[in-house]
Amino acid sequence: MAATRTSTTISLPLASRLTTAVFSLMLGVFIIYGVGLSHSETLHDTAHDTRHSYGFPCH
Amino acid sequence: MLVKYLLATIVAGLFAGILLTPAMYVRNVPLILHAEEYENAGGPEHSHDAAGATSEAAPAAVAPHEHEKEVSPALPFGRFGNTLLINLVAGAGFALITGAAALFLGRRITLQNGIYWGLAGFFIFNLAPAFSLSPELPAMPAADLATRQAWWLITVLLTAGGVYLIVLRDEIWAKVLGIALIVAPHVYGAPEADDLTSSVPPTLASEFAVSTLATNLFFWVVLGTALGWAIQHYAQSELDA
Repeated sequence: MAATRTSTTISLPLASRLTTAVFSLMLGVFIIYGVGLSHSETLHDTAHDTRHSYGFPCH
Repeated sequence: MLVKYLLATIVAGLFAGILLTPAMYVRNVPLILHAEEYENAGGPEHSHDAAGATSEAAPAAVAPHEHEKEVSPALPFGRFGNTLLINLVAGAGFALITGAAALFLGRRITLQNGIYWGLAGFFIFNLAPAFSLSPELPAMPAADLATRQAWWLITVLLTAGGVYLIVLRDEIWAKVLGIALIVAPHVYGAPEADDLTSSVPPTLASEFAVSTLATNLFFWVVLGTALGWAIQHYAQSELDA
């Protein structure tokens, strides 16, 4: 039974997690910057309703 | 590279982004459209207000409004299509950041604890910044955009650090420092417009603030739970290796 319980920690050493973590974080930050903070007019107008709805500072 | 883990987080983000779209259309988008009527048609009636506001506000805060009257350079998928596209992309972005945080911390997001990851994300990205910098409707008075963005970003980073110290560290000093980090940007204060005169009725603004927070809470609960489910189903083998 104990085997079916999922642990809440990852036993994988940090070295094996680090590349994915850094890549994932950089991609995520790049995306959120584009969606929420970029001053590009095309991005602003396309993301307009989402920016307001999400509470990003807008206009 | 843990490819399955990355794909699982992106799938969960896209799913939450899809569900966010109809949720936004229940209240938030109708309120935005209502506010834009005051932004565009408020000219003749409120010309004295508008003139007063524009002359005192920073130039950077005035210019972006003009696109509403010109040809918009937005992507050509229509208002709904653009919003859906951006919500999908944003969902994936927030999912990637949350998945990365869990990897850095050596924690596993599961179906059972996913909701707590979601609540943490909601607190960090929505509730904490909104406490001092309310979600804004179009045509509401606001301080310089870059200053508000900087405050928003710093608040998100400090709050994330604070949540980590309070939730995942046992030491007393960590809890105290965590609370201090979360409170600090609000003691400092968010940038405010000099002139708070607005053509948007205050009722609309308060309805919008509450409805956006409710919508975003829904988004984050879905995202956290979906992350837990997707990672357990698609990436478990990678994490156990």
